[in-house]
Amino acid sequence: MRFVLFLLALSLLPDPAQEKPGAVDFERDIRPIFKASCIKCHGPDKSKANLRLHSKAAARKGGDSGPAYKPGDSKGSRLLQLLLSKDDEERMPQKAPALAAAQIDLIRRWIDQGAPWPDDGREELHWSLRPLVKPPVPTVKAAPWVRTPIDSFILASLESKGLSPAPPADRRTLLRRLTFDLTGLAPTREELESFLADPDPDAHLRAIDRLLASPRTGERWARHWLDAVHYADTHGHDQDRPRPNAWPYRDYVVRSFNEDTPWARFVQEQLAGDVLFPGDPQGVVALGFLAAGPWDESSQMHIMADTVDKKIAQNLDRDDMLMATMSTFMSSTVHCARCHDHKFDPFSQAEYYALQSCFAGVDRSDRPYDADPAVHQRRQALLRRMTDLEARPRRFQKSLSDPDLQVEVAAWVAAGTGREIPWTVLQPEIFASAEGATLTKLPDGSILSEGECPQTDTVTISARTELRGITAIRLEVLTHESLPTQGPGRQDNGNFHLSEFRVAAGDPTKPVPVALQNPSADFDQQGWTLAHALDGNPKTAWGIFPEVGKPHVAYFELKEPLANDGGTTLTFFLEQKHGGRHLIARPRLSVTAALPPVRVSPHPPAIAKILAIPSGGRSEAQTSDLAAYYLRTKVERELVALPRPLQVYAATNDFKPLNKFSPARLPRPIHLLKRGDVNHPLAPAGPGGLAALPGLPPVFEVADPEDEGQRRAAIARWITDPRNVLTWRSIVNRVWHLHFGRGLVDSPNDFGRMGGTPSHPELLDWLTATFLEQGGSIKKLHRLILSSSVYLQSSRHDAAAATIDSGNALLWRMNRLRLDAEQVRDSILQASGKLDLTMGGPSVMQFHFEDPNPGVTPKVDYAKYDVDAPGSFRRSIYRYVFRTLPDPFMDTLDCADASQLTAVRNVSMTALQAMALMNNPFVIRQSGHLAARAKDVEGVYRAVLGRAPTGAEASALKAYAEKHGLANAARVLLNSSEFMFLD
Amino acid sequence: MCEKRLVPRTRREFLWTLGGGLGGIALSRMLGAQEPGLHRPAKAKRVIQFFMNGGASQMDTFDYKPALKERHGQKFDPGVRVEATTSTPGAILGSPYEWKRHGQSGRWVSSVLPHMATCVDDMAFLMAQSSRTNVHGPGVYLQTTGFVLPGFPCLGAWVSYGLGRLSDNLPTFVVIPDSRGLPYNSKGSFSSGFLPVAHQGTILQPAAPVPIADLFPPPGAKHVTSGSEAEGLALLNRLNRAHQEEHPGDTRLDSRIASYELAAKMQLAAPDVLDLKGESAETRKLYGLDRKETQDFGRNCLTARRLLEKGVRFVQLWSGTAGATGNWDNHGDIKKELTFIAGMVDQPIAGLLKDLKQRGMLEDTLVIWTTEFGRMPFSQGSVGRDHNGGTFVTWLAGGGVKAGAAHGESDEWSWKAAKDVTTTYDLHATILHLLGVDHERLTFRHNGIERRLTDVHGHVIPQILA
Repeated sequence: MRFVLFLLALSLLPDPAQEKPGAVDFERDIRPIFKASCIKCHGPDKSKANLRLHSKAAARKGGDSGPAYKPGDSKGSRLLQLLLSKDDEERMPQKAPALAAAQIDLIRRWIDQGAPWPDDGREELHWSLRPLVKPPVPTVKAAPWVRTPIDSFILASLESKGLSPAPPADRRTLLRRLTFDLTGLAPTREELESFLADPDPDAHLRAIDRLLASPRTGERWARHWLDAVHYADTHGHDQDRPRPNAWPYRDYVVRSFNEDTPWARFVQEQLAGDVLFPGDPQGVVALGFLAAGPWDESSQMHIMADTVDKKIAQNLDRDDMLMATMSTFMSSTVHCARCHDHKFDPFSQAEYYALQSCFAGVDRSDRPYDADPAVHQRRQALLRRMTDLEARPRRFQKSLSDPDLQVEVAAWVAAGTGREIPWTVLQPEIFASAEGATLTKLPDGSILSEGECPQTDTVTISARTELRGITAIRLEVLTHESLPTQGPGRQDNGNFHLSEFRVAAGDPTKPVPVALQNPSADFDQQGWTLAHALDGNPKTAWGIFPEVGKPHVAYFELKEPLANDGGTTLTFFLEQKHGGRHLIARPRLSVTAALPPVRVSPHPPAIAKILAIPSGGRSEAQTSDLAAYYLRTKVERELVALPRPLQVYAATNDFKPLNKFSPARLPRPIHLLKRGDVNHPLAPAGPGGLAALPGLPPVFEVADPEDEGQRRAAIARWITDPRNVLTWRSIVNRVWHLHFGRGLVDSPNDFGRMGGTPSHPELLDWLTATFLEQGGSIKKLHRLILSSSVYLQSSRHDAAAATIDSGNALLWRMNRLRLDAEQVRDSILQASGKLDLTMGGPSVMQFHFEDPNPGVTPKVDYAKYDVDAPGSFRRSIYRYVFRTLPDPFMDTLDCADASQLTAVRNVSMTALQAMALMNNPFVIRQSGHLAARAKDVEGVYRAVLGRAPTGAEASALKAYAEKHGLANAARVLLNSSEFMFLD
Repeated sequence: MCEKRLVPRTRREFLWTLGGGLGGIALSRMLGAQEPGLHRPAKAKRVIQFFMNGGASQMDTFDYKPALKERHGQKFDPGVRVEATTSTPGAILGSPYEWKRHGQSGRWVSSVLPHMATCVDDMAFLMAQSSRTNVHGPGVYLQTTGFVLPGFPCLGAWVSYGLGRLSDNLPTFVVIPDSRGLPYNSKGSFSSGFLPVAHQGTILQPAAPVPIADLFPPPGAKHVTSGSEAEGLALLNRLNRAHQEEHPGDTRLDSRIASYELAAKMQLAAPDVLDLKGESAETRKLYGLDRKETQDFGRNCLTARRLLEKGVRFVQLWSGTAGATGNWDNHGDIKKELTFIAGMVDQPIAGLLKDLKQRGMLEDTLVIWTTEFGRMPFSQGSVGRDHNGGTFVTWLAGGGVKAGAAHGESDEWSWKAAKDVTTTYDLHATILHLLGVDHERLTFRHNGIERRLTDVHGHVIPQILA
């Protein structure tokens, strides 16, 4: 009212321009005008033309047509031009009367006076960013209702609105609620009966403790977490290939909830468990979090390496990791700042890329780990030792001259140092000379070339081998008495020239080339080294002159081990194109599965050189080089002897390149991208956090920015810092949301300005502070919430209360919740007696699966699946989740889309859902099992609804069952709203 | 998923909790508007969207480039770096087809699409569509959902969400995949993403033994009889009504009861739509049901028309499966591969257009023919073409579309869009515009962002509006 009068008064004044212009006060004169006439379209909620006038910073920045005003120049200020415009299309404010002349004049004077806008001390810090202060517990009138401090907060706000809480739920309802809520299953008949019979008024507290101790609870809450982190068992995207090693992360999550891992540790493990907890193999498995989302296999693996599409894919891949991290742990939408500064929250684009750079060194791939912590630690220690032996930091140097070690080395040298490589000689089955030489297989597996002696030739030799994991090939060129100077070549001087040596594997009609590397020969003719046999150039070759008259040998390593899944046929091509009868006379081929390096000399040249020097003549440096080398061979042997590691699909920077997908040796350079476009990189970005959190510096101390692990460790520490209030408020709100069906903030993934406002801000802070005090124990948080009177309320409707708070935001009753897809499926199995409570392990394919072509999505058919297959009875958390081919039955029940971070599931009631619940083979078959187990209508009622039927219900169901069978009656009950909703 | 409240705050939201479902009436009508259309009067009520999975070659179908033939075999050198997604760029590859002008509009169409060529005067062409990507997965997602990443609602889902249903008896949004298999991204491209699942495309396979999943109990279910079903539903209705009376103030319980009534209606209506017996021989011939190569897609097209007649709002038809062959991804041999796949759909699509026209349905039906990207003017191998997000062709026809129009031009090689370039966002904005929806005002809050089909982009293309 005062404001209106003020304006009125102003408009009655003589033209202020004629007056001596007094100083305009922004807060008194200008902000009210903005607030009344501008902010609606140009403020925090809407920003037409990208202009916002609610804060100094936003206003200074201006909108699409540049700055709204130029301090000191009202004539040149667009704001004034638009206020004064005669063009209705243009004139501001739109769809409202023009501002009064006096108001416009105030704005004119304000701009001409330099547009002073006091610094926005009054722009309050957004609620979610405010430092955490544990609020006092309020006092309430109806004190006896209060069981926990939570109740005081809830009751105080109810009382302030003249509302009162609902009476407590009856015991049957309460136990169903608690059991479904914590475990995702119904209470058993025995549990219900003993609970109903318990005279203790606090019997529910014991029930809560019993349920919290149940492994079913970890399974249930892991499912919530997997929704939040968009976990699935396939990659998604167009090829949507299986991800067979995703499940260890799922089991890790189940275990963590069951073991009540402290929250900070749980978060840290998932971001940098490998770095922060190197002794714990679960620290590696936890990294499945970063890899949980979709992966664009086509762009990452199949397209050309240096294309724009590839860069886009890598940028979006990191974006997915960061979005999952920030949405899930901090309820922050910082990912909105990929293309521009965040429009609503105080996050800059530079901060976004600083955060993104924390993941610049990792990709998603299978990563080895050892389930046994002792083995894990041993492997880690050996790998560390190997790194040390390679890098040899100074502290290491001294130990290398240790006399005991020297004795060991001397013994090793004396014993020949040799590493025996077990070769398997191949028995050729097919062999041919392209130019008509006569080839004969000799008993030792060699092929002798006789008769016609062409100028050039290509000899092709095929042999089958059962050896698995072939790592190297040996080519021997043997002598023979029939040859000039005994060979090994057919040339008169005994030499040969091997221009190219090629190998192919598989069906000889369609062999696949095998890539070779690291060729080594016992002797190379000068200028004719063995490397020439791999260089693709027919004019260069390997020769052995003048070392003729004796056999020679060449080794070739395979780039990738071959025949890992079983034996194969190998075809060798010995191309000898030099001419002048430079032909190999008697080749013999062998294979080995020995660990690389497989060299003719087992030692690197530098070591071989040292070994050639008698021990007394070696320098100090040579002695310690040799000792280090000896120690490495020891470590290698021990590593090989460890049990084979398991694999988890996780974030990693160490994996075998696959097609065009290869790890980053160093963190990939990250730049701020103009409009998020990879074609427009601006300043480089290094690891860092958000500046908006009071008291928590955004600076990440990363000693070695080339060590990607340090970057992840830094963001993990920053997120879990007790001063990072977003993290702690976020999880407390999530837990509340899952118990009540709605969070204290109704947007669990967005605590920004566009997200919800807390219904009970003090309660949220009290709970958050308490959660921190209790060491971040989720189980203690559950217990606190579940034992409150708020939770114990009935869900009964109250028309009067609904007129005041129709959405029940104040919790004047408990919310009635519809079972989610997993609760429906699991409790149907429970009712039918078929539920299999086996925990963990590879995901169960509850569909018919065929994978005829590894280049495309497998064929998945849910309708063909036998719903009585053993896998069908496992809990839904162990289902194989196919990202682009989700289970249609679960889909109709609003199961989460695994391509999206799902903090809140939808709840819908559709015709397709009704059809699925009536007609899906799973429901039909389970109805049969249920009927067989329950025997009569009362049994069916107890199994499905946990109660006996009323007289009327019993007679209606009995009449129907007599006519159409108990199985159909069971199916009707499984479709009932009473089954689908929890009171 | 969506930041959903337990109890709807507004009338509009109330309708959404029912999945656009209860009573099944289009939202615009429930809100009191006379014409369908959420923000403005609609020119089209329903949509048929054809999606050519794999990247239909524009310079072998609608984008005539004589220069390619003239310079066939020469090095492709536009003066800047040339990238190809899966191969090393080869020499310029002329189109192997004959080209002619067609209709009064004089549109060039190659001999690979003789039937569509007879309809050019009903079509409006976007001759310079460009994509953000050259990779199938992101490309198909972009052209179906407006985002290169998975998890976003597709056009059909947004239309269902914005406009609701036209009929009680059938789903609002129906997808008919190629009968040989699903496209790239499988069902990801029909997803409702974060929108309520009610807006997801219902998959219909007219030729399959089970055309719609769970519409009826499986044949092997022993204890199920027609009597058990009818009486079971009646009993369920009684139980649910009693439960609802004991639990007042919860609209979800009403919705559940309604959902079973709707399901029963669908069970009656769906088989009828799929039964083509009543279609005349002439009509069947028009769609190519009498020819082996076209009968499959022809059946899908004819079924689509019948779905529209019964009140389905949005039908999406796919041509081409995932994988290296059997689709529009003609890397190996344009002449062989494109002739095959185009031959499957050309007559059925033209037949559907003609049929809609003769029945007066084309006036308020929007037909869209599109793909995820185009192909390269140079060869892959010797006679194939690699992916090209630089330029491709989309056409529209029907309600509100300027018949015979063409907008945009590619460069002389059809390598990049050159003039009046249009994006996926523009196409989507235009489609929504024709349906009476302002693309900037059709929004849904998800994880902190007011999401739109067109992200933060998109302009209606006035040049192709009637």
